Amino acid sequence: MKSKTSPQIAVHLGRLKLKNPVMTASGTFGYGEEYADYVDLNRLGAVVVKGLSLKPRLGNPPPRIMETTGGMLNAVGLQNIGVDAFIEEKLPFLRKYDVAVIANIYGETYDEYKKVAKKLSAAKGVHALELNISCPNVKKGGVSFGSDPKVAARVTQAVKEETSLPVIVKLTPNVTDIAVIAQAVEKAGADAISLINTLTGMAVDLKTRKPYLRNITGGLSGPAIKPVALRMVWEVVKKVSVPVIGIGGIMTAEDALEFLILGAKAVQIGTANFINPHATMEVIEGIKDYLTANKIKDVNEIIGTFQP
Amino acid sequence: MAKNIYIGEISKNKEIQEDCFLMKVKVAASFETPLPGQFVMIRIAGLNDPFLSRPISIYSFSRRNNFCLIELLYRVVGKGTQIMAGLIEGSQVEINGPLGNGFEIQAVGKNAVFIAGGIGIAPMSLLIENLSRRFPSSLMTLYFGAQRETAVVGLDKPQKLCHDVNVCTDDGSLGEKNLVTQAFQKDMKKFLPANTSIYACGPRGMLLSLAKILNKGTFNCQVSLEERMACGTGACMGCAVAVKDKKNTLAYQRVCADGPVFNLRDIIWE
Repeated sequence: MKSKTSPQIAVHLGRLKLKNPVMTASGTFGYGEEYADYVDLNRLGAVVVKGLSLKPRLGNPPPRIMETTGGMLNAVGLQNIGVDAFIEEKLPFLRKYDVAVIANIYGETYDEYKKVAKKLSAAKGVHALELNISCPNVKKGGVSFGSDPKVAARVTQAVKEETSLPVIVKLTPNVTDIAVIAQAVEKAGADAISLINTLTGMAVDLKTRKPYLRNITGGLSGPAIKPVALRMVWEVVKKVSVPVIGIGGIMTAEDALEFLILGAKAVQIGTANFINPHATMEVIEGIKDYLTANKIKDVNEIIGTFQP
Repeated sequence: MAKNIYIGEISKNKEIQEDCFLMKVKVAASFETPLPGQFVMIRIAGLNDPFLSRPISIYSFSRRNNFCLIELLYRVVGKGTQIMAGLIEGSQVEINGPLGNGFEIQAVGKNAVFIAGGIGIAPMSLLIENLSRRFPSSLMTLYFGAQRETAVVGLDKPQKLCHDVNVCTDDGSLGEKNLVTQAFQKDMKKFLPANTSIYACGPRGMLLSLAKILNKGTFNCQVSLEERMACGTGACMGCAVAVKDKKNTLAYQRVCADGPVFNLRDIIWE
């Protein structure tokens, strides 16, 4: 039985308005087109595209992935077509949809971050930028920008100077105190903070005694990391006032609701897309069902209602 | 918005050779007819361990009155296939597919040569079926290699449809005691590059030695590759293979979305 009025599920991340709190996580949804046959992109809160760099990146040699208990390791190494090719070849496709497009960006230097940000800000059809300062699989840049609060603040500020788009900063969990980094990027002007990126991990092949990944280490994702992600989101929402986006092992609406209750304004679905291309749609429907069942009219009414 | 995840019902799952299973899965009639070389991502409905779906190439496909029957021939190599092997009739699986690009089938000349190693016979069998229907006048030759007699599998259709089937085993327990690539090399003079298409699927070592054999000549050879995959749809970039791109420089392509069939000449063997 359908209720007469569907609950209100739009959320605001500062000035960025989303139809619902469910977005895709960068690196797990390609440039959108890879899943357009499975998912009506118009129904998503936002599409966050694969991390873009100034020049195309080759990525790491294979093997790049390995299954683990309740998750997977990846060491793709930010293979991407580069910001110019994205604007020319991929963005026109996304413009056809009525969906917020968030470009995840990556640089090896402050200057590269700035240049990528500038190009995307000039292109029509990008609604926000997400700074990847947290990729564990690249030698330069990536996580090294995200593990020092001063450096994280400087890259945030550098990008803010180049763009009028909302800037989301995506944090790495591979630090001692994630709240310190969150506070630093907030002070530097971040409009929102997303967390967590993958946890650095490894797997060993007993037959060969070699690593399963050519890169030796990789980023762990999937339901195995959800408890860590929840703990870190909790630590961050207590310390910052900008909107927080929860990421990490979300497979179901129940998982997403845990993050929202903790205080995340929105969530990103990542690895779940790989094994269930309809995961985002199921999470959106599941959130609505939960709200209806609990007679809650607006999703915002449950955000941050955690009772410790 | 065209693609669905199909819920398949297993109608048969039987060990037909040592560690080799034939699984028959019933799916809805709307399932797209696969091209030879295409694959499905399969997972056990509702189970999160193993976490990822498994890519399995399509061995056979048929349309029935109100459903389709997908046949998968697979070898138990790890945790995922081990669990698949334990599924009983009536169990449900989730099927995403058909995925990837199949073999490019040109108007085959006089000869079609198939080289298969072990479970690599699976896509070859579907290809042989398809080609024999479309080009009944072409001469089809299969070279098949396996470790030993108990690992010889999937030859039923090729033996009916090919003009010549050469079986090699490493220990000589069935057919010739030889490597499949060497058996082919010995016969190579019989085929002219201008009117021969070669198709291959098998372990990396087999494909590498085939690459060396064909390196000097001008034979056109398409190979179907295997790689660990997370998504199967081109998004995760996990199943990378090193190839020479149009500019003749190294690029990593996705076995799932850019392949799994590649031109043998484009592959960079590291």
